[in-house]
Amino acid sequence: MNEALLSNQVIVFLLSEATLFMLLAVAFIVSLKVLLKWDFESFTPFQFALERQAYLVSTIILFVFLMKFILVVYFIFSIDALSLLLPGAMCAAGVIKANIYGSYLLILKLFILFLLILWIYVHSYDMRTKNHQWFRKKSWLFSLIFVLIIVELGLDFSYFSNIDTHMPVSCCSALFGQLEGANPLPFGLSVSLLLVLFYLLYILVILTIKSGYTILYILANILFVFLSYYAVVYFFGTYVYQLPTHKCPFCMLQQEYYYVGYLLWGSLFMGTYIGLSDAVSTLWLGKTDMRSKKIVMALLSVFVLLCTVYVAVYYLRNGVLL
Amino acid sequence: MMSKMMIQIENLYRTFHHGSNEVSVLKEINLNIRQGECVVLKGVSGSGKTTLLSLIAGLDKPSAGKVLIEGEPISKLPDLFASELRAKKIGMIFQHFNLFEHLSVNENVTIPLIPSGLKMKEIHEKVDESLTLANIIHKQETLASRLSGGEKQRTAIARALVADPNIILCDEPTANLDRDNSLLFIDILGKLHSMGKTIVIATHDPLFDSLSFESTIVPMVDGKIV
Repeated sequence: MNEALLSNQVIVFLLSEATLFMLLAVAFIVSLKVLLKWDFESFTPFQFALERQAYLVSTIILFVFLMKFILVVYFIFSIDALSLLLPGAMCAAGVIKANIYGSYLLILKLFILFLLILWIYVHSYDMRTKNHQWFRKKSWLFSLIFVLIIVELGLDFSYFSNIDTHMPVSCCSALFGQLEGANPLPFGLSVSLLLVLFYLLYILVILTIKSGYTILYILANILFVFLSYYAVVYFFGTYVYQLPTHKCPFCMLQQEYYYVGYLLWGSLFMGTYIGLSDAVSTLWLGKTDMRSKKIVMALLSVFVLLCTVYVAVYYLRNGVLL
Repeated sequence: MMSKMMIQIENLYRTFHHGSNEVSVLKEINLNIRQGECVVLKGVSGSGKTTLLSLIAGLDKPSAGKVLIEGEPISKLPDLFASELRAKKIGMIFQHFNLFEHLSVNENVTIPLIPSGLKMKEIHEKVDESLTLANIIHKQETLASRLSGGEKQRTAIARALVADPNIILCDEPTANLDRDNSLLFIDILGKLHSMGKTIVIATHDPLFDSLSFESTIVPMVDGKIV
């Protein structure tokens, strides 16, 4: 039996995922029936029954989605804990590369997380209309998410059941040396240019958040989250670790670094996802939410400030940069 | 001139499910109530009066059919909108008063106006007006827990009136009152009727059989209007 599958964290994680999936499967079957026969203008017993079912299904979906947020964090925590079992692994970076499924699974989870937030947006707008104006769009979006969740569950099991605990993996040590060989940064950027773009994009996101330039805002947001990943791994992260060669997105999630990675990545992804969901809602439904914009500004500012503070504190203490 | 339609009920059904059993509490209810009308729903316990009032107030959703308040369908409104409509258009008086026992009369009556966004001065004026109309202003600082049944009911009336709703719904309003207090309550209803309020009362109290003001008695038996 695969040792990774016997770890407490993995058992809890997979059981939770499977349980939530079963709830979603029931919700999906009912929602499909409701979607195909929905006629809000009708006052028949059948339509009233559908409306009651739709309300119940939406509540189940909302509950499952909120649990999925917690599970994504728990997934990261679990794979980080698995690093103790894998030779060569020092953190989740090594564990995620233990087989071909890991990276795809992580990317899929992050994408599903965005769609979940988008669904919550559409749902909240739908609940604030008198005639459930967005019910169909909400249901189709849920259908798409459900299909992706099936794939995710398959990948979850494939990933954890194919972790070979006897096979050495490459971890942060491999990432350490990456800058010495080919440039790992996108578009052939240098670190200094990456930093300039990082701050400029942050300013652009903040400036466009309340403007009518929604497409520009979406593009700035996507580019910001993309470049932020590299900026954190190849620059700001080294100040978190206080080691110029330590370039890892995962080690900062460990106790040794006060779990600061959860705050850093959490504020970046939540800020970006909420911003993108609000912007997509503007384009798709013609709805926008001022409170969301304030939350996005706060989250992204926390992220940028936190990154900057690590560098500033290091400089003030040591008088030099790494 | 004919007054406008306040409440329209079309082919209303309400069925409850207990396991595999189906209990039809309301069947094929059709009723139109105009502005300023007083309608007394009369029937024994279990005849569906309270369920009908809940559906009119948007507190419950029907199994089939429509309820329209001033032309707007309420039977499908999401909770958020149903609450808003109730706050603006409907005042409710319950058999068990439903007061906050640890709050004073004044505070109980003020509560419905808190979300209205009115200035405190306006709120105080409306509360005083409502307490005067319900003849309970002399007890305004008394805790609800220290009131007699009749006083509690008058506080409930003041609370129902404070937002100046067009429709007053009363569910067995005199069930917990002695005869004198019941007559006092009916007196106040008479005043509301003369002010043009639309009143719907669910009761089995014989005192409502011959009211001193114009009213329509709607008998209900086994969930049907007969």
